[in-house]
Amino acid sequence: MAESTTFVTFSGVFAGYGGGDVLKDVTFEVPKGGVTTIVGPNGSGKSTLLKTVSGLVRPRLGTITFKEHNLVGMSPREILRLGVVQVPQNHSLFREMSVEENVELGAFLVKDKKVIKSRLDGVKAMFPIVAERAKDKAGSLSGGQQRLVEFARCLMLEPELVVLDEPSMGLDPKTLRSMFATVKLMNQAGRTVLLVEQNARQALKLSDYGVVLENGHVRLMGSGHEVLNHPEIGTLYLGGAISDDVAPPAASTTESEDPS
Amino acid sequence: MHALIDGVLTGSVYALMATGLTLIFGVMEIINVAQGILVILGAYFSYTLSTHFGIDLFLGLLITIPAMFVVGVVIERVFVARLKGPEKTAMSILVTYAIALVIEGSLNQIYSVNYQQLSAWYVNKSFELFGVYFPYIYVYGFLLAVGLLSALYVMLYRTRFGASIRASLADQAAAALVGIDVKRVSTICFGLGVAITGAGGMIYGATNTFNASSGADLISRLLTIIVLGGMGSLGGALVAGILMVTVEDIVGVVWSPIWSTMSFFIVLVVVLSLRPQGLFGKLSSRVA
Repeated sequence: MAESTTFVTFSGVFAGYGGGDVLKDVTFEVPKGGVTTIVGPNGSGKSTLLKTVSGLVRPRLGTITFKEHNLVGMSPREILRLGVVQVPQNHSLFREMSVEENVELGAFLVKDKKVIKSRLDGVKAMFPIVAERAKDKAGSLSGGQQRLVEFARCLMLEPELVVLDEPSMGLDPKTLRSMFATVKLMNQAGRTVLLVEQNARQALKLSDYGVVLENGHVRLMGSGHEVLNHPEIGTLYLGGAISDDVAPPAASTTESEDPS
Repeated sequence: MHALIDGVLTGSVYALMATGLTLIFGVMEIINVAQGILVILGAYFSYTLSTHFGIDLFLGLLITIPAMFVVGVVIERVFVARLKGPEKTAMSILVTYAIALVIEGSLNQIYSVNYQQLSAWYVNKSFELFGVYFPYIYVYGFLLAVGLLSALYVMLYRTRFGASIRASLADQAAAALVGIDVKRVSTICFGLGVAITGAGGMIYGATNTFNASSGADLISRLLTIIVLGGMGSLGGALVAGILMVTVEDIVGVVWSPIWSTMSFFIVLVVVLSLRPQGLFGKLSSRVA
């Protein structure tokens, strides 16, 4: 497990979309350097929570502290400048623009062309698809390839915190595995990752920390292993408690986390 | 042949004016009904500069274009930026129509309802090439349109700001997530759209007689061009502008000028029957 220094602190966060609170007094900490996965049933507030981090949703009450800055009330642009980048749930590449243009836009806030060039080279080394399909329109890529280009784009700002909202959505099982491997790779390259996933079991396996949200409240938090093996949580959300290397019986899988 | 050349030369100026309109719609989903009267405002700017200050029409654009940019920015900041929500596009028609009425009334008050035409030595003179007479103003207008559209193209496809405009054209939320200030991009686009329209206004004023009411006729043509080209498509506005005016000119010569205006709208109906999204538009889930 990564060194446990607090990086992001959610403190008494209430947030919603005008029709009542989706998040109700959410309090937990994201340790620095690890992968933290938030799991929970549909409607539990997972995506809303991520939107409060990136500034797309403004909490009604509470604070979100990132490196001594309170993110509440900041614009998405200001939050980006602090080094917090979000890859949204829906594909967000500009389809008519080339792959390279898309990736370069990831460094839109960086003015120095040399810095952009060197980061682009670094990203190309990590994601060969960016070099291979540089001049192709982003819209011509498959769903999995687009996701990788989105990851590449988000790294152009050299973020300290990468926020991923259901990156596995719409991916086939093979692409899914390579996507999760890439998440781990980004983490090993020094990024703290905050992840929301419906594929809870796979996500928790690679996570250092897990948080279970239920109806806008934090139901449980602990190490990824603890959450994965918690008997009650396992039964409710993960299709039965299991150890890391034993697959759950198919009949008890209620959320089909692992399409493979 | 003459009608064809004439159509291409005049059509390019219409393309310039329509580009302003489609740029504004593409980025902001705002239908700027005031674009017609803003062409006329540009023409009156040129009229004032040439008749009261003796400034050449083309030289005067160095003042008119920035002035029209400021007019665009003020309209966007004061009125258009306040439009939000799902009714935004529909509301924009009403708001910009009101702006058009105010500008039209003011112009009538200042310049009277008498028709004007811009004059300069190149407005009435022509030169002959291969047996065809070319009025200088049409050729200069064509070169101006090509120059400004090329500059716009270079800005859009070769600069970072251009990339931020194209990103905002494609997806505003995704653009905001990479740090693009979509509000600022919108304001500048509105200013640019109005500025290049103002430049088109000078050519329009030199090749047509105009008064403040001429804006109403113009906006129907400009809207037709951008619908035909595909809403939000810059290339579409260029092709449709030239196509429409060329067809109109050819019909006017071959059949009758009575049919020429109608041909404009017949082309629209035929194209939209076959391609509802326009020539270069894309079918999308965007709901106006």
